[in-house]
Amino acid sequence: MSGSANHPPLLREDGQRLDGRSLEDLRPISIEARVLNDADGSSLVIWGKNKILCGVYGPRECIPRHDESPYRAVLRCRYNMAPFCSLEEHGRSGPSRRSQELSKVITECFENVVIAESYPKSAIDVYIDVLQSDGGTRCASATAVSVALADAGIPMKDMVAAVAVGKVEGKLALDLSKEEDNWGESDNPIAIASRNGEILLYQMDGQLTRDEIDQAMSMAKIGAQKVHQLQVDALRRVYDGASDKRRVPLELQPGEVRQA
Amino acid sequence: MSKIVVPGEMVADKPQRMAYTFSDGQKTYAVALSLLGDDGKLVPLEGPYEPLVEDIVVGYVTDIRFTGYSLSLGTPFSGFLSSRDTRATLSLGSIVQARIINVDEVRSIDLADARPLPGGSLEKISPVKVPRLIGKRNSMINLISQMTGCQLVVGRNGYVYVSGMGNHSLALKAIRMVEAQAHTTGLTDRVAALLNEERAKAGQPPMQMPREA
Repeated sequence: MSGSANHPPLLREDGQRLDGRSLEDLRPISIEARVLNDADGSSLVIWGKNKILCGVYGPRECIPRHDESPYRAVLRCRYNMAPFCSLEEHGRSGPSRRSQELSKVITECFENVVIAESYPKSAIDVYIDVLQSDGGTRCASATAVSVALADAGIPMKDMVAAVAVGKVEGKLALDLSKEEDNWGESDNPIAIASRNGEILLYQMDGQLTRDEIDQAMSMAKIGAQKVHQLQVDALRRVYDGASDKRRVPLELQPGEVRQA
Repeated sequence: MSKIVVPGEMVADKPQRMAYTFSDGQKTYAVALSLLGDDGKLVPLEGPYEPLVEDIVVGYVTDIRFTGYSLSLGTPFSGFLSSRDTRATLSLGSIVQARIINVDEVRSIDLADARPLPGGSLEKISPVKVPRLIGKRNSMINLISQMTGCQLVVGRNGYVYVSGMGNHSLALKAIRMVEAQAHTTGLTDRVAALLNEERAKAGQPPMQMPREA
């Protein structure tokens, strides 16, 4: 299905991608922590044309009560796309099969790292809102959730960084954009625990050979390390200045987009 | 120099039992965003309140029952003050200081030694910043209350009662400043400077900062 009558070619003649990146490049990524005053933790991730806002509340009372556990806090991530987030109908008709799936996979990814046993009978709510989407929102969302949870001070064994690896025009490429995702041959979102490199999420769309999967994994690990560094920088920046950002009247600086 | 560490970052290269860390059997890692001091200890920068027996907390009444009162403490569940453990008569919304006498395995909190705190307001700060607001030997609380004339009661859970008498808005300003700059050094001096500056604006004489012993 590579470069055919159905879609424009996804690689330029010089071998670069349509947006000028090489196959191993990430899109420009900017991560900002503590962007909401009334959430316990929050983050804003601008990843290429994706814009993801994430707020964490809790541990707090678990409502409905039948969801609670006497052994641990329940973690509930809710992924939602804004009606205006893309040209497609994503998000326009409320909760969908797709948003349920993403909420589920992101929740399960973070259940591995959050130390929920410290807060029995409570709930940790994570709200992920996609303000603008351009392919790779689940990876950007997982990245945003990790920063927001850390910002809230929720105990975690690890940070999580996620990035997709896919196949376009027969070649493996890191961090697919929307066109590459839609028209490429394969899309593999991968979330990696930053401390020990454990794989917390691996979904596969399309097909890869075993060798390609090995290669994709090593590309994802390198990409995830870069994303992790941006996450750490974002968290440190909160305490860089003389005062912590949430405690002073907030003026959101769009800021320069930090190149990965 | 202390350093900011993120969850999963190594803080010791051998297994150690330490607050806000976990060990995989070989090394020790931070579990929360914290400051790693030169002594190797971690001071969390953010996080929920962990109730402990003997903590003095501040809360407000959310429910009155025959057996006692429910107090909101900013925790996932309210604290319970039994009628047997208090002689005070409280009404809905009353601000109360109390001592935690029991915390069970699901973090239900039992309270005693209630002291109603009438006629003031309740402020919320991050529970991990409470030690900063108290200061060494109460230095920060003493400073703020002496210079503003407000009485302050700081609960370990991050709820702060500020009495209605005195310069209430200035006390709040100082509390917010402490919270926002809790991770910096020389804070007591800067708070004193802020308070004196505001006093000067109001035409009051500057006050000497209470000396730390």
